[in-house]
Amino acid sequence: MKPALDPVQLAIPFFVVAIVLEILLARFGKARASYEPRDAATSLMMGLGSTIAGLVTGGAVFAASLWVWEHRLFTIPMTAIWAWVVLFFAEDLTYYWFHRLSHERRFWWASHVNHHSSTHYNLTTALRQTWTGGVAGTWLLWLPLSLLGFPPAMVAIQKGISLVYQFWIHTEAVKRMPAWFEAVFNTPSHHRVHHARNARYLDANYAGILIIWDRMFGTFIPEDDAEPCRYGIVRNLPNFNLFTNVFHEWIGIGKDLAGSRSPREVVGYLFGPPGWSPDGSRETSHTLKARWRARAQEHKPADNAP
Amino acid sequence: MDNALLAQLLGSALAVALLVGLSAWARIARPAPALDETAARKLLADEFPDHGVQAVWIAGDGAGVVARSADLALVLWRKGDGYVARSGPWRDVVSAGAVDGRVRLTALDGAPRLSLGDRAWPPAEIAA
Repeated sequence: MKPALDPVQLAIPFFVVAIVLEILLARFGKARASYEPRDAATSLMMGLGSTIAGLVTGGAVFAASLWVWEHRLFTIPMTAIWAWVVLFFAEDLTYYWFHRLSHERRFWWASHVNHHSSTHYNLTTALRQTWTGGVAGTWLLWLPLSLLGFPPAMVAIQKGISLVYQFWIHTEAVKRMPAWFEAVFNTPSHHRVHHARNARYLDANYAGILIIWDRMFGTFIPEDDAEPCRYGIVRNLPNFNLFTNVFHEWIGIGKDLAGSRSPREVVGYLFGPPGWSPDGSRETSHTLKARWRARAQEHKPADNAP
Repeated sequence: MDNALLAQLLGSALAVALLVGLSAWARIARPAPALDETAARKLLADEFPDHGVQAVWIAGDGAGVVARSADLALVLWRKGDGYVARSGPWRDVVSAGAVDGRVRLTALDGAPRLSLGDRAWPPAEIAA
């Protein structure tokens, strides 16, 4: 059960045309983009598979939203412009926290990691969507909007608009947008940083449409031309296998839980940051960034050097 | 499953096939020439910035690297137009046996197969 107007479905022909254009422009040297066919195939199959996975869980998610809306605090009309303006900001803020949670806590990272496993950054990467988001339950974060009184169809449409917006920022073809745009909106430059695996860029730029949330909550890192983004995840996957891509982190969690020796370890493996381990022997974003800072400090010339 | 949905899925699968075909035709993957020692050391520095590299062994086809950093083996191998990096105990990694001109490093997740070419395995020059 989905709203009659689905921005993502409507945008699919645009997605296809844009990818064709990006490939052709790169082929003829008019734009910067690189495609590895097996990587692109994985991304596109992930997109197709997520549509099918969405059919399985989408009905239950929408029904839950409807149930919450029936117990709403206020009645917000879908036809009011002010309601769409408020929802635009509220949904985008919700997206920011969903996205931050999906990176900083392993249970939700297990579902989101496959969006980041490509070592390329092109328009097909945008379609590399999760198959297990419904199971991970991050959709619960949007229920308060329905509790406030936004109709579930309205929330679903705004979520779709956000996803469609985020498609075009998955590209190396656009270097920088005008300064005012970079200040307010999520852009290819900001999102390249988000997809980078360089230690200095980890856990940054969680924005959906507006980059203002990262600036407000201290997670904004600008792209530094002196350090080009290297894409992918900290431990890049050893193959292009679709199912490895979808399930590897869930399998990793399962193995860790099977070897757990205390409730503390169970909680840590499930809800600690990705890379958490009881003895601290594995790497988390925090430890990787700390080591990067230490190296940067070491190589920094002394301020009072002659 | 209704017919409209089935048509949509089939259409999407066809579009996927066409886009992958177009990307293969375009030949716009990153260049991935065979590694020499300079390129291997640069990659190792990117992937293992906290580990000093004592010696480097490069696979016969230039698509894999085994480097020694004290008791650790730092390993890189080509995947598509990029490289995968893993590390493991030196002793375990170099204990892998060579078969048919290749060595499979089962001590590492992903168990990469590296081509030996005319290189000796285990790498005597850095095994001591």
